[in-house]
Amino acid sequence: MGIFSDIFTIARWEVKKSFSTMGRNVLPLAVILFILLILATGFVARSGMHLQDGMYLIATDDRELGNILASDGRFMVFIGDASTIESEISAFDLIIVNRTVSQPTTDRGRAAAKTLSRDYSQYVASVYSREPDLFAAYPLWIDLQYVKSELDFQATQSGQYISVRQRSAEPPLPQGPVVQVTPPPAVIPYSADDLRKNLQQDTGKNDQIARYTNLFTQQPSYSSFKTPDQLSPSLPFDSIIFVFVFIFPLYFTSQFFMMSIMNERIERKGEILLSSPLHPLVIIAGKMLPYLAGMLITSVGVILAARASLLILLPLLPVILFFLASALLIGMLSRSFKELSFISIFFSTIATSYLFFPSIFANVHVVSLVSPLTLIILQLQGTGFSAADYLYSTSLFYLTSGVLLYIGAVNFNAERLFDLRPFLPRLREFITSSLSRVHPYRSLFLANIFLIPFVFMLQMMALVLFFNLPMPLSLVLLIAFAAFVEELAKSIGVYSLFAGEITSLPLPTILLASAATALGFLLGEKLFLLAMLSQITDSVFGSILFLQQGALLLWMPLLLHFAGVLIVTLTIRAGGRRWYFPGVLAATVVHSLYNLYFILGAVR
Amino acid sequence: MNGRNIWIMARKELSGINYEKTIIFAILLQLFVAMFSSFLMVGLTSMYDPSSVSQYSRFRYSIAYSGTNSTLLDRLLESDDFTVYSMGLSPALESLKERKLAAVIFVPDTPPDSKDPVQITLYTLQNDLQATVVGVKLKDVFLGFEDDLRTARASRITEQPIEVQLPPAARTEGFYEFVFGLLIPLLVFMPAIISASLIIDLITEEYQHETLETLVSTPITFPEMVWGKILACEILVPAQAGVWLILLALNGIRIENPVPILFLVSVASLILILLSALTALHYRERTAAQFIYSTALVVVILLVVSVPDNPLNLIVRASVGNAGLEIYGAILLVSAVAAALGYATHLYARRIGRLAQGSV
Repeated sequence: MGIFSDIFTIARWEVKKSFSTMGRNVLPLAVILFILLILATGFVARSGMHLQDGMYLIATDDRELGNILASDGRFMVFIGDASTIESEISAFDLIIVNRTVSQPTTDRGRAAAKTLSRDYSQYVASVYSREPDLFAAYPLWIDLQYVKSELDFQATQSGQYISVRQRSAEPPLPQGPVVQVTPPPAVIPYSADDLRKNLQQDTGKNDQIARYTNLFTQQPSYSSFKTPDQLSPSLPFDSIIFVFVFIFPLYFTSQFFMMSIMNERIERKGEILLSSPLHPLVIIAGKMLPYLAGMLITSVGVILAARASLLILLPLLPVILFFLASALLIGMLSRSFKELSFISIFFSTIATSYLFFPSIFANVHVVSLVSPLTLIILQLQGTGFSAADYLYSTSLFYLTSGVLLYIGAVNFNAERLFDLRPFLPRLREFITSSLSRVHPYRSLFLANIFLIPFVFMLQMMALVLFFNLPMPLSLVLLIAFAAFVEELAKSIGVYSLFAGEITSLPLPTILLASAATALGFLLGEKLFLLAMLSQITDSVFGSILFLQQGALLLWMPLLLHFAGVLIVTLTIRAGGRRWYFPGVLAATVVHSLYNLYFILGAVR
Repeated sequence: MNGRNIWIMARKELSGINYEKTIIFAILLQLFVAMFSSFLMVGLTSMYDPSSVSQYSRFRYSIAYSGTNSTLLDRLLESDDFTVYSMGLSPALESLKERKLAAVIFVPDTPPDSKDPVQITLYTLQNDLQATVVGVKLKDVFLGFEDDLRTARASRITEQPIEVQLPPAARTEGFYEFVFGLLIPLLVFMPAIISASLIIDLITEEYQHETLETLVSTPITFPEMVWGKILACEILVPAQAGVWLILLALNGIRIENPVPILFLVSVASLILILLSALTALHYRERTAAQFIYSTALVVVILLVVSVPDNPLNLIVRASVGNAGLEIYGAILLVSAVAAALGYATHLYARRIGRLAQGSV
């Protein structure tokens, strides 16, 4: 139990330290700011946002209409008689004379017309919703029913637009068994008064904001009945806004952790800890614990406030670990505060895109499971997720956090922490000291196995990005990008281990090192595929990323990986370190050609 | 106060940023954003205005029509957007699940002039981009059908709204309000926010690295040092914002009045920079200063946006060419605030400088 008490001791120090630096001075101002924040939010809620006021100039000869339009801040309304308006038509974005709208053919004019037509239909709705015979003014009600489609990956092989493929006169009959459904009843199950209330509520509020706040409040059950005008399309983006509420506190807390690590380094307080007999991992775990606890508590708070299921914590956990592990490395790597700021902004942008973009396709595509946030969305919707889904979408995060923590722990010593050299050489040093110089081949082999999760993460991101592009382009881009990432990853080990002496390295060493790298990479790749990725690898996209050579022997990809590393190492050996990137590019070209050859074969 | 000393200080900080290559991260970030911009454009815009998505597809969608015939069926058959199949409800729903159809419509046998509403059922796919597009296109057809029904029941309606003849719906325009009303003020003010957080880093660094004493022992005074850092951060603002405007212009988004906009942004960001410089001088520790700064930033932005004719709104209006002389008035007003804050910062820095000298 010694280790745990050590961890707790360090965690207690960490809490104490951060409270002593933050506590007394910051707390009063923080409280004042918090009160101000609440007041400001109230103020904005009352006076509204005035960002787009007066974007469009509009002129009309109808006073009544003008007053109606002026209620939208975006319009600056000029009321005059028809002849003056028509003589100065070019000065306005939109003119309404004799109740007919005309607009100049500028972009702004068109945008103004669009805003006007939206405002106008809102005005019409507000008049009609006062009508005593509601069903005369609103004769049409639409009951929106969503059907869930579990599209398997195979179905997208021929492109994304499944629903447009049919062009024949024959109705598209289903392949599967038909379940008999009873036609829905013809009578609306709500009274006219209830519906009217709902209508008036809807026209009263700004629908741009309401769309997002609706998510938080329980909607009345008749809201699935809509008039055509209310038929706002089903937006996959709504749930993502909600997910942001979960992620934002995590960013904030990981900033504090980053800063704490950085402070140890510049104030040299870390030295005392380092001179203790404690293992670096214990120190790191102890320092991390308060932040981990803080993140978990905030998440539980958000979950309880949203009255959602606590199961959401499960997919959040790997994300939290990943943030903490990256924060540790960023705090250890950056030399100055400004570097810390820039790198952490950069990191959070990348992490955000990785986490958010896939989850836009929640429910549509298995690709979306790449991001653990998709699981949160599924859970929020009440669909839930299976253990296999969980393993599939979180394992990359667990593995990469593990590797990052390992690199952090290995380098958590005085020499690395108090070094102030540029970023990239330091990063290389960090990797180098994670490798063993005594057993270079073994560590190259192992390093490449553990690089695989990172490679997959990058390739997944590309898959999500390119998935939206039209088909041939997305294939080509994906092939080139996947090859580049793999070649870059494979070369990292060799480069950081031998960078200093590569020009004088004997050929047998290079051959052996390349072989070890290729073996490690291949083994890692295959292990990973076997473990979890069978869903994606069945598709044509998957076969680009992780070429499935069912019929081929394993020595073909092995030879490819070997050749790739060899090309890079030999280029650097011949030309020096400047030739690193050209070497990687050359290897990428070879790799892409190989992949193209086999994919064309597979397509044929 | 010596101008040359301030300039020396500013150059030192700028070359530090250049030496550490941190600016490369900023450029990488911009590139990354540019890479995602097409995605962001579609994604964000459709979040902001879902009906703009419909321009992204000019396909004919297969839909199934089930139930009683009506003018809705005629309108659907006339429409260029749909291929309509009359099908039984059960097989149609099964085809929808297999994604062979984009939507299924069921219409009951309620007569058009009935006392009861006509309640039709629309089945679409859950949370799907395609469903979004289909929904937009169907809405137009449904609106037409609603008009048919309203005409049939016209005798029962007591108050008709003012009728306005709208121009034919322009489907091509959807980004304008998003780009000019949201994206441009955001992009233009981003460098200001970054610079304001940069000044905290630069000032607290001197304290936490304990390099302050060395600096104060040189001929450069403490206020000169602070002003040098402020200058370095301030220079970055119009430079970065200008690059954004040029990039947008290369993308075909032409902005009116670029010079007054850059001017306003520079002065407004000076206020942010001075505020965070004061925070940094007060706390002398990065975590605390950044925490206070970022919370205060949210409050300030909320307050500014809720005031009519605020600088952000003026930038929007200037960029579309609808701002008159107000923007110059705003520049003057904001400059006055910045000058007052600058004077306060100067006094505060001088006091701290004296105290520091006393202790050395």
